[in-house]
Amino acid sequence: MLEIKNLHVSINEALILKGVNLTVNPGEVHAIMGPNGSGKSTLAKVIGGHPDYQVNSGTIDYEVNFKKVNLLEMEPEARAREGVFLAFQYPVEIPGVTTSVFLRAAFNEICKHQGAQEMDPIEFDEYVRGKMKLLSMANDKFIDRPVNVDFSGGEKKRNEILQMAVLSPRLAILDETDSGLDIDSLRIVAEGVNKLKKKDNAIVLITHYQRLLNYIVPDFVHIMHDGKIVRSEGKELALQVEERGYDWIT
Amino acid sequence: MISQIDTASAFLSELTEYEESLFKNATPWLKGMRVKGLERFKSLGLPTIKDEEWKYTSLSPLAQKKFSFVGEQKLNDNRDLEKYVDRSEINIVYLNGFFAKELSNLDGLSNGLTIQNLKQALKENEQELQPLLSKYDAATQGAFAALNTAYFHDGAFIKVKKNMIADKLIHIIHITNGKIPDTISFPRTLIVLEASSEAAVLESHICSANESYLTNALTDIFVGENAHLDYGKGQNESPEAFHIGTTRIWQERDSNVEAFSLAAGSLLTRNDLSVTLDGPGAHATINGLYAITDKQHVDNHTAVNHKAPNCTSRELYKGILHQQARGVFNGKIFVQREAQLTNAYQLNKNLLLTKGCQIDTKPQLEIFADDVKCTHGATIGQLNEDEMFYLQSRAIPKTVAVKMLCRGFVDDILNEIKHNSIHLKLEKLLAHVLSVIS
Repeated sequence: MLEIKNLHVSINEALILKGVNLTVNPGEVHAIMGPNGSGKSTLAKVIGGHPDYQVNSGTIDYEVNFKKVNLLEMEPEARAREGVFLAFQYPVEIPGVTTSVFLRAAFNEICKHQGAQEMDPIEFDEYVRGKMKLLSMANDKFIDRPVNVDFSGGEKKRNEILQMAVLSPRLAILDETDSGLDIDSLRIVAEGVNKLKKKDNAIVLITHYQRLLNYIVPDFVHIMHDGKIVRSEGKELALQVEERGYDWIT
Repeated sequence: MISQIDTASAFLSELTEYEESLFKNATPWLKGMRVKGLERFKSLGLPTIKDEEWKYTSLSPLAQKKFSFVGEQKLNDNRDLEKYVDRSEINIVYLNGFFAKELSNLDGLSNGLTIQNLKQALKENEQELQPLLSKYDAATQGAFAALNTAYFHDGAFIKVKKNMIADKLIHIIHITNGKIPDTISFPRTLIVLEASSEAAVLESHICSANESYLTNALTDIFVGENAHLDYGKGQNESPEAFHIGTTRIWQERDSNVEAFSLAAGSLLTRNDLSVTLDGPGAHATINGLYAITDKQHVDNHTAVNHKAPNCTSRELYKGILHQQARGVFNGKIFVQREAQLTNAYQLNKNLLLTKGCQIDTKPQLEIFADDVKCTHGATIGQLNEDEMFYLQSRAIPKTVAVKMLCRGFVDDILNEIKHNSIHLKLEKLLAHVLSVIS
């Protein structure tokens, strides 16, 4: 599904990623861990297509429905339409645009691309409420408020998970979605991820803390250090990191 | 060397017949005032960029034209008008400066509310109008206010009696039907709120064609003691149109004005808004928004004059500029010696969407009292890349994302329009320009 080869990326001439290799297959859950500044978030943003980053060399191939594309040549919105989803570490506030309007605009763009029927506000409202119930967010009121404006930290992250559920991506990359969450919100986030997990979909969790992995069991754990993935193993690796820190690896 | 009189005379050359008929029929004081206005205009000439008040707004595209005054017209297609007006409200429609009775509805005026055509009011009620029309000395005003004083033809006269509340929105619509190019109109509006009265007035300038024309508008507003006025001015005119308008608000003690000005179209717009807080405890909010594209030019000059103690004023102007559009903001606050405990706030924020657009912003404070609180500021920014990326990463195309963020940028200021119906209509005018940018 996703094949990253020898990826070198810089921002403002500072080299951040120094040769990342990563292969993600459908049905897999990958966790990427690593100390601050190791390049985890940069990797997420480059997969999403953030314009600030300069890709110096390497490739990101993405295959969905037997169609292989080069993500690096695509605008962020084109990547999203092909099923790439990035849950933001710091979701952005958009005053004046209610969350439900924003979500429907996004949803309909993807429908349009896939040749599916777009939804009107009433249909969509029902659809979103269904998703919210499924994600234990039935009590959340944030969809009637402007996107992320004055949301609590937990609400912002739940909103990211709701967006993911509504857009049903093929490849979801969660950039530290668990950071700073209380245990209830963490459970909701984890539950959302587990519900997305299907044999055709893949999930990449970028995280700082092993705690999230108590709720989501990854197939692979990768450790990133200084712009490279330096170790890849099964889920046990996360426990070792929790006990011993990163120093023994690097 | 071209003198002021030459530029003024050249500019007025097609208007001599109009002037003759206007001056011939005027009563002596009215004629006296008109002559004074004309002399003032001629002595100033057409403003140039050498004039401090016009430093960033060149009138040379205007000076090249010869505008003429056309007689009464008919509106062939009133669909745009009907889409815009709400027939349950009071609508006073002026077509090319002429009162259009068949397009207006003045039924169901509440008790204590007078709405008259200025032309008719001058015939019936000259004594009442005289002090109102001559409140500002023609010999000291700016060129275009003086020109309107000399040449105004018609307009609305609105008066709300003491303690009366005009419950419906009073909507004055100036529509230009540009069948003939280079026409000129001089609408004059007079709004009087007596003590403890309340009203909401919206002036809209719209058009039904893409021709070139000039609107030289002058609105005088008098708000009596403890009265409350919601006032809006909205503009979405022909891409070839010129609009030079002056609005002067005079407030007595404990009065309250909530004013909003929207400029969303025309080739060149210049709005001069002045507020005089003449009695203690008065408050004025003057907010404004300009959203312009292509080669449009909008210049807002505002002046708030604190003349009495314990008054407050609040001013927020926001602008979105796209393509080669150019904006000018100049906001003056004067705090006179006796205006102690003034609280004045002014902010101008601009969003530049493209490399080619430009904004010149200049806040100006002149404070002669020593116990006051005044703040002012200006910002100029571009769309935030992280915000754009967030929207795009949700499959939303760049062009739609720009629109969403622009809507977000103006959201707070639109929400400050407390009068629902004024809010709704200005949103309608704005929607058009937001749909073409990005």
